[in-house]
Amino acid sequence: MNLLTEVNKVLDNVLSLGGRGMQFNPDTPLLGAIPELDSMAVVTLITTLEERFGLMVDDDEISGDIFATVGSLVAFVDGKLSG
Amino acid sequence: MRDAFLHPAEGGHRLYIHHAPAVGSVVRGVVVYVHPWAEEMNKSRRMASLAARQLAEEGYAVLQVDLLGCGDSSADHGDASWEAWVRDVRDAADWLTARYPEAPLWLWGLRAGTLLCQAAAAQMASLPNLLFWQPAQQGKALLQQFLRLKAAAQLADGGGKAAMDEVRQALRTGQVVDVAGYRVSPSLASGLEVATLAPLAVTAAATRPTPRLVWFEINPQVELELSPAALSAAPKWTAAGWRVDLQPVCGPTFWQTTEIEDAPQLLTATLARMASVNEAALA
Repeated sequence: MNLLTEVNKVLDNVLSLGGRGMQFNPDTPLLGAIPELDSMAVVTLITTLEERFGLMVDDDEISGDIFATVGSLVAFVDGKLSG
Repeated sequence: MRDAFLHPAEGGHRLYIHHAPAVGSVVRGVVVYVHPWAEEMNKSRRMASLAARQLAEEGYAVLQVDLLGCGDSSADHGDASWEAWVRDVRDAADWLTARYPEAPLWLWGLRAGTLLCQAAAAQMASLPNLLFWQPAQQGKALLQQFLRLKAAAQLADGGGKAAMDEVRQALRTGQVVDVAGYRVSPSLASGLEVATLAPLAVTAAATRPTPRLVWFEINPQVELELSPAALSAAPKWTAAGWRVDLQPVCGPTFWQTTEIEDAPQLLTATLARMASVNEAALA
């Protein structure tokens, strides 16, 4: 499983990016750079990642750092999966 | 034909949208649509309306109801309780069955709406059929997701967890809280928190013929897979005496996507399934 591709799929679906999300690379900025990413979308993303990867996110882990870039989001999921 | 009106109910009125079955067709069944919660209700309005219209063309009478404090019904969202919503679903079913007394009843829910369908069905003398779109297995998870909006709103300053704790504490002490523009009462939160999609036992005397559960899961991936939750829950409904049709369909998660999106495959699959149910019933 290519984690970047999987995370991009989730981003593309949740943010209604129409395929644009599939081109994201780890340096692509998210929070503050993508207007679709409002607080509603952040919660949906977390929930979708939980369901899709079968992981649990604690409420105190929800911080802006995770959503800085695609790379930071992938790293967060990766840490959860291997942790 | 579609008819929207305000139906008198406890605390004022509820908005009813009645899609009458196509003229000249046999009334094949009556369907109450129960919407999901909060923002998911708004996002899914279009899909619900499209499906309701198509079901009416197929010979079903469909009633969409805005629950207490939602959409165009009376009261503020903060006045709503879980019990009041379950009562709204039962009232809507009573209204439809009084109008079409011979037709089999279906309760159709999406997300939180499926939990309300289950709770309303549990209170009925005779079990209705159920149509589930992306059911929520646990109300608790929906509540947590909703309360996270409070944390997400404070992402930048990192005070998310504290904000959520504050809201939970306020609910525990009986206060109405405000999350993302929705006022939520402790009775709504506690009702949702304990709601589960537990199978209802079918007793031979109470229901004939065997009640049906038609269940769709929507998956944005092309490679269709059912969730582990659905795969473990479906056999329990079968064991409880239901005739279960569980099917994955491909489409966007329209109740939560940023833009309002259509899931045409879900519409097609729902129509096909409901039409085949008819044939079986008429045969």
